[in-house]
Amino acid sequence: MLPRLRRFAAGLCGNPADGDDLCQMSIERALANRDKWQDGTRLDSWMYRIMRNLWIDEGRASSRRRETFVAEEAGLSVGGDGAQESAVELSMVDRAMQQLPEEQREAVLLVMVEGYAYKEAAAIVGCPVGTLNSRLVRGRDALLEILGEKA
Amino acid sequence: MTIAREDIAAFADGQLTGEREAEVAAAIAADPDLQREVEAHRALRARLAGHFAPIAEEPAPDALAAMLAPRPAEVVDLAAAREQREMKRSLPRWSWVAGPAIAAALALALFLPRGGAPEGYADTQLAAVLDSQLVAEQAADSDTRVLLSFRDRDGDFCRAFSRDAGSGIACRDAHGWKLEARGDGARQADTDYRMASASNAEILARAQAMADGPALDAEAEARARADGWR
Repeated sequence: MLPRLRRFAAGLCGNPADGDDLCQMSIERALANRDKWQDGTRLDSWMYRIMRNLWIDEGRASSRRRETFVAEEAGLSVGGDGAQESAVELSMVDRAMQQLPEEQREAVLLVMVEGYAYKEAAAIVGCPVGTLNSRLVRGRDALLEILGEKA
Repeated sequence: MTIAREDIAAFADGQLTGEREAEVAAAIAADPDLQREVEAHRALRARLAGHFAPIAEEPAPDALAAMLAPRPAEVVDLAAAREQREMKRSLPRWSWVAGPAIAAALALALFLPRGGAPEGYADTQLAAVLDSQLVAEQAADSDTRVLLSFRDRDGDFCRAFSRDAGSGIACRDAHGWKLEARGDGARQADTDYRMASASNAEILARAQAMADGPALDAEAEARARADGWR
């Protein structure tokens, strides 16, 4: 589960370093609150929910700062060699993700990267399935637009 | 009948069921624009999954791993020690701590030389997953995820799958699930978390090249399972 949690955290925060910080905070909180996890409920959903709530509470300011920084860095490396171009390509997806509102970003990550069913993702976020569905569609449309894959 | 954008996306994600799915599938089949939209959704999904896959494939930093499970043996001992010390705590509460170790053991088992299956065919465990698991119904934390199912040009059912130990495509013939394409995950035998060097996006591209027609929708997949994929 840890590799998946790191992936989700990196997606939320926009970069692996902040993601690992979020991961560590989430694990600490989960261990501190392990009495609250109920046997028979899914542990991974519970962990994702903890992480997501922490991110909403504390992660925003730092990810915004980082976004500015990454955009500038990526701009400077344009026109470099192949390796740098691939770094730019990678950060394109990251930057596109960072442009999404939080509610769309988490919906996109939970369903399209983490592979949760809509119902499960809605339970993690704590919203109705229909709401999740429409956030997801808006997030996808925005990504297709930014990444130039609009059909 | 109106088809909302939400319906198209949900269809592309395999999230529709029953009558609604059949309606949407029919509308899509009749409309090339909608087909392109479904394609775009699936391509985006593959791109995002491919983009974030490397993070989940690299070993977790020591600091994080140490918080949970330094070594399988220690985890078990730790769990046992706590169990004795705090009699009220039930074992299931700890089962998730041992989770990564169990997952690693499973990943090891999946690519060991297999018994009961001919060379080049899925082993018993993988075959069981391919036989039973439907894309629309699988749990998010399945060790092996089926990405999609399709028919190849011989009319055989094929299924693209993804797991910690590497992605691949297997097609059902008279002997079992023949592995047609496989990531190189199996070669990196010396790490706890084996890398899947063939990304899901790559596997999906292979599947597209092999497929004769579109991927099976949830209903067709369920039918295929009922017929034993033959």
